[in-house]
Amino acid sequence: MSDLKLRVKEMIIERLKLEGMTPDQIGDEDPLFGEGLGLDSIDALELVLGIEQVFGVKIEDEAAGLKAFKSVQALTDFIAENAKA
Amino acid sequence: MTAPPADIPAHLPHRYPFLLVDRVLEREPGVRVVAEKLVTFGEPYLQGHFQGRPLVPGVLLLEMLAQAGGFLESDSLHDTAIFLAGVQDARFKAPALPGDRLRLEVRADGAFAGMVKLRGTVSCEGRELCIASLVVKRL
Repeated sequence: MSDLKLRVKEMIIERLKLEGMTPDQIGDEDPLFGEGLGLDSIDALELVLGIEQVFGVKIEDEAAGLKAFKSVQALTDFIAENAKA
Repeated sequence: MTAPPADIPAHLPHRYPFLLVDRVLEREPGVRVVAEKLVTFGEPYLQGHFQGRPLVPGVLLLEMLAQAGGFLESDSLHDTAIFLAGVQDARFKAPALPGDRLRLEVRADGAFAGMVKLRGTVSCEGRELCIASLVVKRL
């Protein structure tokens, strides 16, 4: 697992207080919302704030969120792309 | 910083017995609000909470923070639907009693997709009574 991807998973677990969950239990391609991790819209707000705080990357609007929150892999790619800018 | 609105009922749709903000002291829309609620023996809910031992219900302290948070919006909320969507990490440290001048401090923590996270503190004479994060949803 890439270092950034591991940090993304750790951030998700910590920020959303997914107690008892470990990074290896979150699949790279699992959808974060609906099926998969089953997160809701309040979790989305928490993740947006966590990503900004931990990685310094802003998710500006719902369109960006839709792309970034597809999966952990998509989120990791989104952070890697936008952290450089 | 814009001037505090003189007319609280013009901004908030809440009415007696559920309008829980009496004064707005500081207001920076989108950033921070400081407001006050003055607690009296005349509050209707103190009649039963509790008989002979009145104290403001903790959930109403959260509601006070939510209503104070309404002043983070620059425009009147009469034409807007805003709902409480979440309460996180609430702590009630000391009771609010008749005679208390409650200071309601609310700060915007961030927003995404119609959801706003607020961090609030209720204090009285420098003593923290309640802290909590609230999530409100705007439709």
